Amino acid sequence: MLQYMIILLDDTSTSFCHYGVNKTGRRLISLDHLRRGIRFAMVENLTLQMVYPDYELPAEYHEAIDTIDHSNIVPSALGRDADVIVLDGWDAVPPSDGVAVIRTSLAHLLKHAATVGDWLARLTRLNIVITDVERMTEADCDEYRAFLSQVGTAIERLYVNGRSPQLNTLTDRMMLTAMNNCGAGDTCVTLAPNGKFYVCPAFYYEDEQDCVGDLDTGLDIKNKQLYRLDHAPICRKCDAWQCRRCVWLNRKTTLEVNTPGHEQCVAAHLERNASRELLQRIRRQGTFMPDRPEIPEIDYLDPFEAMHKA
Amino acid sequence: MADKKETYRASSVQWQGGIAKNITFIVTKDCQLACKYCYLVGKNEKERMSWETAKAAIDYILGHEEDFPEQSVVWDFIGGEPFLEIELIDKICDYLKTEMFRLNHHWFDSYRFSFSTNGINYHTDRVQQFIAKNHSHLSIGITIDGTRQKHDLNRIYKGDGPLERGSYDDVVRNIPLWLEQFPGAGTKVTISSADIPYIRESVLHLYGLGIHEVNINCVFEDVWREGDDRLFEEQLMQLADDIIDGGWYQDYACSFFSEHIGKPLDAELENQNWCGAGKMLAVDAAGIFYPCTRFAAYSLREKRPIIIGNVRDGIDKNKLRPFLTLDRTTQSPAKCLECEVASGCAWCQGENYDAADTPTVYQRSTAICLMHKARVRANNYYWNRLFRKLELEGEREQWEENKPKSNDIIC
Repeated sequence: MLQYMIILLDDTSTSFCHYGVNKTGRRLISLDHLRRGIRFAMVENLTLQMVYPDYELPAEYHEAIDTIDHSNIVPSALGRDADVIVLDGWDAVPPSDGVAVIRTSLAHLLKHAATVGDWLARLTRLNIVITDVERMTEADCDEYRAFLSQVGTAIERLYVNGRSPQLNTLTDRMMLTAMNNCGAGDTCVTLAPNGKFYVCPAFYYEDEQDCVGDLDTGLDIKNKQLYRLDHAPICRKCDAWQCRRCVWLNRKTTLEVNTPGHEQCVAAHLERNASRELLQRIRRQGTFMPDRPEIPEIDYLDPFEAMHKA
Repeated sequence: MADKKETYRASSVQWQGGIAKNITFIVTKDCQLACKYCYLVGKNEKERMSWETAKAAIDYILGHEEDFPEQSVVWDFIGGEPFLEIELIDKICDYLKTEMFRLNHHWFDSYRFSFSTNGINYHTDRVQQFIAKNHSHLSIGITIDGTRQKHDLNRIYKGDGPLERGSYDDVVRNIPLWLEQFPGAGTKVTISSADIPYIRESVLHLYGLGIHEVNINCVFEDVWREGDDRLFEEQLMQLADDIIDGGWYQDYACSFFSEHIGKPLDAELENQNWCGAGKMLAVDAAGIFYPCTRFAAYSLREKRPIIIGNVRDGIDKNKLRPFLTLDRTTQSPAKCLECEVASGCAWCQGENYDAADTPTVYQRSTAICLMHKARVRANNYYWNRLFRKLELEGEREQWEENKPKSNDIIC
């Protein structure tokens, strides 16, 4: 069921996920589209997320946006208050007690385990988005495993000291009780600056023609069931609950929105297994979420392979 | 398959069914014929496979033995008309045999060469030499449309002249030779809307030619007109009467009549995919790999081809994952899941993809729904009549022990 809507306020709105922004010219959403999008969200009972570009919007836009409860996803370069701030690189200084996103290549990420630890000492939550996860190799797996272990040590130390920051790749799996994925096309849809709906921003930037309706005709997501977990044969049996399960990456790698590629599965399972170790380590320090069972040990990194071995 | 055709197969039983890898060489997209119903929308005379491409494909496949664990292999050759490229095919087969031996490959001596041909060149020296050389490893299907009238209605020679020339005589003359060389022949018949009035006579014609097994199915494309299901049911019931009254049921089989169709299916225990796309591999003249020939551009009306790799870079295994995780319930609409006569209702993954609302193999086309239900009704009639007759004549037990077999071969 649809619950969320993202509004891209401009063609150059910051990316907070796997996709890159390939449009360089500014195209601000029209005020009419913005207002109608907000009305659509009100009528459909959707929670709104506004995604900002790196320049200040006209005052009437802020007035329109403030007519509805919403959250703001903002690039750090804009320097304004945000619910989620997208950091512009590893040299950034994240806000105290804020929620931040860092988009990074795997190679850069692997060099910044200490930085992640430092940031988590300041932030409430950090989301790491590996922008080239689909190119992860077997050699990368060992390095990513080591990275997660190192960051896990930092998180363990913070927890022991009474601070409990969230990191999507390590703490989410400890907290979750079921799959909690992106939801694009199922629970979430995107309104782009052209007044058309898309499964998510990535689908807009990849092909503007690939829309799923517009403000005039309404939403029309063909084969909508394929975005749901119960129509994803690999994912519905998986317990890497923190996995983003990016339907855009799915389509890019396997040509089907309901089927993840090998690399996305492996990355998610390295994180899942590292979460398992982190949970055990924190529990060795004292009582921690005693009502939650241990994360079970598994002998695979790709559930597709486990399915075919069975 | 979008056409109505009747294909004689060298062996009625699918060789090593389920444990053999099917690898298809699309050796040419050319054909002597211009059949009016041919589903291959992109036939042409230019796309002929070169030896270099064929060799590169073989070298890749045999060089990656770990990726092809199936116990056996069917090397399939299609077109267009494959026997137009008999020299290339002969060279391919020789190379396959020597390479499988040289590499001590697990497919050595567990392979078959399979062909679907229009039969026109079947008698030629070059084809016959090839057959003699490879006979024990061959499956050959010849396509014919039943009676001369019916065959020549559609299966005409290519050309721009005002007079259409049918190919029946050139094909049927090769049937006795083929049956002599491959006595265990079975037949594959595909039915579309215009063919419905000819079903009865077509099947009986095939029986009359000496074919004991007719495997037959309706096309999966949305070609059906209002009332086709009733006409279809009537044809099948007339055929049922002829088979029963003529005593054909004792030695001849027609797969339209199966004891095992028309039952509800369990969502968990009977959830397997019908189609083998993705478990197969097809390669075309450009050296491009597909999950099945139906995903190549020349057989798609609406969608872009699904390419899973090429002979140079190999197979992108991520592209195979959707095919290998497909199951019945995930791709079926609610009406199929709730259907009380679901068993035996087939689908073609390529047609599903081509007809889908989005580029997905996960949307099952239901164009065949009414035809399946008509088939189920005719089946009920057939089996009720036959079993009653056998019981009244005290022959039921004997028939059960010796009943002829057929297969639901749909592509």
